[in-house]
Amino acid sequence: MTSLRHKLLAWLLAVVLIAGMAAAWGVYRQARVELDEVFDYHLRQMALSVRDRSFDGLLVEPETLTGEFDFVIQVWGRDGVRLYFSQPHAALPGLVRLGYDTVQAGSTTWRVFAIQERGFTIQVAQPMGIRNRLAANSALGTLSPFLLLLPLLGLLVWFTVGRELRPLETVARAVSQRSATALDPLPTGPLPDEVRPLVSALNDLLVRLGRVLAAQRDFVADAAHELRTPLAALTLQIQLAERAVSDAERVAAFTVVKSGLARATRVVEQLLTLARQSPDAAERAPLPVDLVELARRVVAERLPLADAKFIDLGVSGAEQLTVMGDAEGLRILLANLIDNALRYAPQQGRVDVCIRRADDGAVLEVVDNGPGIPVAERERVFDRFYRRVDNEIPGSGLGLAIVRDIAERHRASVALEDAPGGRGLAVRVRFPLA
Amino acid sequence: MRLLLVEDDLMIGESVQQGLRQDGFTVDWVRDGQSAEAAWRATRFDLMLLDLGLPRKDGLAVLKSLRQIHNALPVLVMTARDAVSDRVAGLDAGADDYLVKPFDLDELAARVRALLRRGSGRADPVISHGKLVLNPATRVATFAGAPLALSPREFALLEALLDRPGAVLSRAQLEERIYGWGQEVESNAVEVHIHALRKKLGAEFIRNVRGVGYKV
Repeated sequence: MTSLRHKLLAWLLAVVLIAGMAAAWGVYRQARVELDEVFDYHLRQMALSVRDRSFDGLLVEPETLTGEFDFVIQVWGRDGVRLYFSQPHAALPGLVRLGYDTVQAGSTTWRVFAIQERGFTIQVAQPMGIRNRLAANSALGTLSPFLLLLPLLGLLVWFTVGRELRPLETVARAVSQRSATALDPLPTGPLPDEVRPLVSALNDLLVRLGRVLAAQRDFVADAAHELRTPLAALTLQIQLAERAVSDAERVAAFTVVKSGLARATRVVEQLLTLARQSPDAAERAPLPVDLVELARRVVAERLPLADAKFIDLGVSGAEQLTVMGDAEGLRILLANLIDNALRYAPQQGRVDVCIRRADDGAVLEVVDNGPGIPVAERERVFDRFYRRVDNEIPGSGLGLAIVRDIAERHRASVALEDAPGGRGLAVRVRFPLA
Repeated sequence: MRLLLVEDDLMIGESVQQGLRQDGFTVDWVRDGQSAEAAWRATRFDLMLLDLGLPRKDGLAVLKSLRQIHNALPVLVMTARDAVSDRVAGLDAGADDYLVKPFDLDELAARVRALLRRGSGRADPVISHGKLVLNPATRVATFAGAPLALSPREFALLEALLDRPGAVLSRAQLEERIYGWGQEVESNAVEVHIHALRKKLGAEFIRNVRGVGYKV
């Protein structure tokens, strides 16, 4: 049973019932004590009044004394012979002892009081059942308002809870009826205080969802836009190839087409990388990664690229340096930085990958001797699809955005600085200590 | 016809320049908004091909500042922004035509010719003057019904002169129309082409206004 209304109703009724029973039990106990006192007094008074009469008169039925309270009077003579009994009860208690006593006779429990006077024994008895019945009546009298109240209370709870929960149903209907893309806040209107936090929490979630969705939409729009540029270039390049009249022209045109294709492919690959780096990648548990070993591997992969431009590419610094992170993400980060450096370094240039320990963590540096990036642009180059003015080198505009995403996941900072010696760019990634 | 191409993307710029040159246009290419403004101030162009996503100064801003100085230079916007609102913004800012990337080179050339034709007040896609008929789309010329063999520069020169018949164009103006920046211009190039054209069309077809220039 998960309905608030049902639960509340059941508990409330149970509590009321238990309270009523407890009260009734209390009343019963109290009534019994008081009845005992009153009736015991009666027994005694009756016995005394019988003593004061002439026993001859006892043969007359003493109506006033018996009646509804079912008193039974017995008188025994000196010889123990019963001289008188007031009612022909099936089983009457015999003479036990003087004073008050409780005795069992047959199936009935009797309360008795006996005195002796001039050799006669006078005993007045009353069945205990009378007292119990009277006490039970009192208890029932106490319980009855509770019992009467019960259905009333139930109805009251049922309707009040229903009315108070109606705003919740309104909210539920509002949620179930909205489309998957509707992210406007839910109405908070006249909500009970207990429900309001739920609705405002939902609204908070909607706002955050909205932000994520907007970011995603922007990204997709940007991505589509950015794909259009390489595709436009390819379309034009292919048309020029079609127009070529000589073999030499055709060969030249197809070389251009191939570079256009390579560029479009790279944009798609980088977009995929970026998509893969998005939130779920952050869920992966960090593992120890040796930056030096990783750098050596990436550099080895990139050697053909470096050789094609006669670039001196190498790794220096520590022999081994472990950070906690996602090995695949860190590989992409390194590969992007090294690719950038190789792209911008001149023929016969130099690209250094340096990994060293710092006081506050690990530092990864990729230094080239290319044209560098002016200070004013060093922040903007991290923006997705940002391409520098007069940039002759084709690129996707996503490389550094990917690098920053990965760095942020590793709580690392990325800084662009002048290369030592003034010419070129140094990209410095600082990792916190593992 | 001399076109100003404003396009920041290297591959697209190169291809458009090459393609339009093959179609007989003279194409000068700049890669940012500020250079575009400097270019139209320095040189007379017949048409501007304008990309919108430009570094330094956005294409729309370039277009607005061009129209602010009441320059009626025909402008063809070529962009990857294809939303209706983008097109409206582009046309309202003063563009004469709007082409969404990726586009076809032949379509681009056809739209350029249409804009040039409109600019010179002609409805007919074919230019005719006396017995001479020029078709800018096919680059075919006929004289008195017979095919006329013209070099690309000769064709461009005739096109420039026939753009506004009767107007006198100086040697410098003609040079500007048929040579782009950075192209080697011999000091007597225009005279050489005129001489060749007179041989093909008759000495009286192109008249020399001494000290001023040439007209048809």
